[in-house]
Amino acid sequence: MSRLLPTHAATFPPAATRARPRRSRSRTAALSFVSLLAALLMLGGCATHAPDQDSTAKPDTEATFPVTIGSVTIDRQPMRIVSLSPTATETLYSLGAGPQLVAVDSDSDFPPQAPHTNLNALSPDPEAIAAYNPDLVVTTADTGGLSAALAKTGVPTLVLPAPNTLDDAYAQFITLGKATGHQAEGESLARQTRDDINKIVAGTPKPAHPLSYYYELDQTYYSETSATFIGQIFARFGLKNIADGGTGPAGGDYPQLSAERILQADPSLIFLADTKCCGQTAQTVAARPGWNTLTAVEQGHVVGLDDDIASRWSPRLVDLVQAVSTAVASAGR
Amino acid sequence: MSEVPVAQRRGTGRTRPRRTRLRARTLVVALLVLVAALVGAVLLGAGDIGWQRVLAELVAEVTGGRSPLSAREAAIVWQLRVPRVVLAGLVGAALSVSGATFQGVFRNPLADPYLLGAAAGAGMAATLVVVLAPAVSAWLPAAAFAGALGGVGLSWLLGRSAGRTGTATLLLAGVAVGSFLTAIQTFVQQLNTTTIRQIYTWILGGLNVSTWTDVLLALPYIAPAAVVLCLCARLLDILALGDAEAASLGLRPGRVRLLLIAAASLATAAAVSVSGLIGFVGIVVPHLVRLLAGASYRVVIPLSLIGGAVFLIVADEIARTVLPGEIPLGVVTAFTGAPFFVAVLRSSRGQRT
Amino acid sequence: MHAGYAGSIVVRGVSAEVRSGGWLGIVGPNGAGKSTVLKAMAGLLPFGGEITLDGKHVERLSRKENARLVGYAPQSPVLPDGLTVTDYVLLGRTPHLGALARESAGDLSIVDDVLARLDLAGLAARRLHTLSGGERQRAVLARVLAQRTGLLLLDEPTTGLDLGHAQALLELVDRLRREDGTTVVSTLHDLTFAAQYAEQLLLIAGGEVAAGGTAAEVLTAERLADHYGATATVFTAGRGDLVVAPIRPK
Repeated sequence: MSRLLPTHAATFPPAATRARPRRSRSRTAALSFVSLLAALLMLGGCATHAPDQDSTAKPDTEATFPVTIGSVTIDRQPMRIVSLSPTATETLYSLGAGPQLVAVDSDSDFPPQAPHTNLNALSPDPEAIAAYNPDLVVTTADTGGLSAALAKTGVPTLVLPAPNTLDDAYAQFITLGKATGHQAEGESLARQTRDDINKIVAGTPKPAHPLSYYYELDQTYYSETSATFIGQIFARFGLKNIADGGTGPAGGDYPQLSAERILQADPSLIFLADTKCCGQTAQTVAARPGWNTLTAVEQGHVVGLDDDIASRWSPRLVDLVQAVSTAVASAGR
Repeated sequence: MSEVPVAQRRGTGRTRPRRTRLRARTLVVALLVLVAALVGAVLLGAGDIGWQRVLAELVAEVTGGRSPLSAREAAIVWQLRVPRVVLAGLVGAALSVSGATFQGVFRNPLADPYLLGAAAGAGMAATLVVVLAPAVSAWLPAAAFAGALGGVGLSWLLGRSAGRTGTATLLLAGVAVGSFLTAIQTFVQQLNTTTIRQIYTWILGGLNVSTWTDVLLALPYIAPAAVVLCLCARLLDILALGDAEAASLGLRPGRVRLLLIAAASLATAAAVSVSGLIGFVGIVVPHLVRLLAGASYRVVIPLSLIGGAVFLIVADEIARTVLPGEIPLGVVTAFTGAPFFVAVLRSSRGQRT
Repeated sequence: MHAGYAGSIVVRGVSAEVRSGGWLGIVGPNGAGKSTVLKAMAGLLPFGGEITLDGKHVERLSRKENARLVGYAPQSPVLPDGLTVTDYVLLGRTPHLGALARESAGDLSIVDDVLARLDLAGLAARRLHTLSGGERQRAVLARVLAQRTGLLLLDEPTTGLDLGHAQALLELVDRLRREDGTTVVSTLHDLTFAAQYAEQLLLIAGGEVAAGGTAAEVLTAERLADHYGATATVFTAGRGDLVVAPIRPK
């Protein structure tokens, strides 16, 4: 709705100049015509627009600001963005907002051309961040009153926490687009990602028998249940997670399993999300005592995932979904 | 006061004084309990193989019969469960006997095997390995071992440089070294916050990745240390009299302390390297043994070995079977700590302060 | 000899000779260095000069040999709470055992004997923390006696004992001394007891020997005033027992 007033103002003067009165009698008629036109325009303006508009036009920059997202107001298009979220960094580059970034945190390693710094995302230092003279800071959590501290220097902080569902992740693309003056790209990215993922899922051949999987977070057998973000992605393929089925209060969504339980469950697929952090591969898994008796190991269905992609919610999710799809296709035969 | 009868034997109604020693009967009972705990822990596990089938498997292994389990189930039992139970016994024994030794050396009932910086050293070394070489996790046990011994060594050197080898000096040195090493560990962790969960998991202590390799890693250190401590048990009783009296009885208190601390720290370091930092075992078990069997270290040391093994086997059993997920072992042992201290408080109320 | 702690000399110029089976009492005001002398004799402190036992130089003996010849009971002994009396007294046999050897039946019978002599037989199985003050002192004495040494060094053996218990303990030591021929050197707080039981006295004040000799020679009113700063009178009572009694200053 906030876009409407400027647009309305932009079109109002032309409408008024069109209805220029010549005689006093036609002046009244012209005035009423103008009023009617204005009323019609206002009514038309107040009608809600469809959310995803045609995005072929160049992004409307100056015209779309100031922007309010939740309790945060961004006055003009940010050109000095500091990103403390590796996911946001990736997404911003996908949106074409890369040139607007001046600093990204130490864990933002993708894409490689991002302006890498030593900023610590988990315990952020407002002073260090302010030193980059940002006009927008994007982070995943408001740790230690960061947004309050930054607000004192007039810098807005956008907090985009880890999403619970895929739809939440897509919504963040849109939010980031809106916040950086790339609303159209944001909406298109969200739509594209959603369509790609849906296509991959639909295109995966349904397995001959129901498949189960074990998702490994580290080599001490920490796993994720299907209630998590990642878990939901796997669930879309109809995969059953062996970490489900009651972990009690001792695990929550990220339980630590025992080797015994994993072996008992004999999952059809094993996904390793600890390839980068802990050097786990299909070979190291097969070398674990007793694990060579697992079906997944015997038939080569141990899949190594990129730790980073698996722990972020950027547009690279599509790669993750593709990897899962390939694994499911090969295991389901 | 009556006249003291000189060299006059009283009537046959008087009983001979009995010294406290480890009676064969007590030892046999303790060993039976240990075997029962071992077998019980192997029979009942997180996976549901069924204890009768596991029992049949054990019998078959002993008698050379045919295994009733599939390859995978047999792997679960022999590659996962049995080494885990054996390791729990080893680690429990090591930590208990070290705790008993430290309690004797420092004449303090609240002493535990981590007193001289063993835990801090191991934690710092583990942090460094996880941060610097995360993919090479095989180095973790060796690093923790070296770190634990290094921490104790530093405390000893620091205490000695103060000129005295008394227990108070040693304790202070241990506190200083422990604080320093913990500070380093925290600092390194803060610089590498993505690895916090891995380090924290290790620090909490757990046996869920135990293999026969771990058993073979720990055994060559724990076994000799345990033997040395059993043989030196009497020396702990003498040390309990204080340095002056111990010296007057022919002991060299400083040297004996060094030997005892070295052996106990070796056992602790080996235990910590394979299982992380499991607390409370070193304090609780020796006290329980004292309550049940007497305060002389001749009894406390060997029974702490067996008692510690039983304790940790049972605790690990609880950690993996009570809830569907795994409870960190350090949490289970800590749960025993609070009621234990309450019990000690109550029992000491009856004693003179 | 002279001896001290951590580089500073506390007593100097101490010289005495005790016959075998005799009793030397060391007296003196607080802080004079009495315990230091005993500790040096026990080999627990470094000292300058020489201390010989039966002609053997103390510093040349190994710890173990020393422990077989000299028994030392400190002023505030540490008694491990949970230990039984028997176990505690048994610790006194340590110097006579091998490095890690177990006690033999002979050792047990020695303990038996000692407990009987000290009237502790009924308390043999009791834990140390359940004993009364007098019983604890006797237990400490029992441990030192179990060591079967030729020399007993007792630092304030009557600390915390009431008149009756103190007297009984000293009578006991005297009796054992006469029966076994043990030499006793003890520091004594109470001058009357010192006078009544010790054959010889050594008065140490300000780190030096102020007087030595028999009780009558050493304990005079002038000396007590000089070194203790106390007003007292010395007289004989009963069958010639010396008594040192304080009188109120005018």
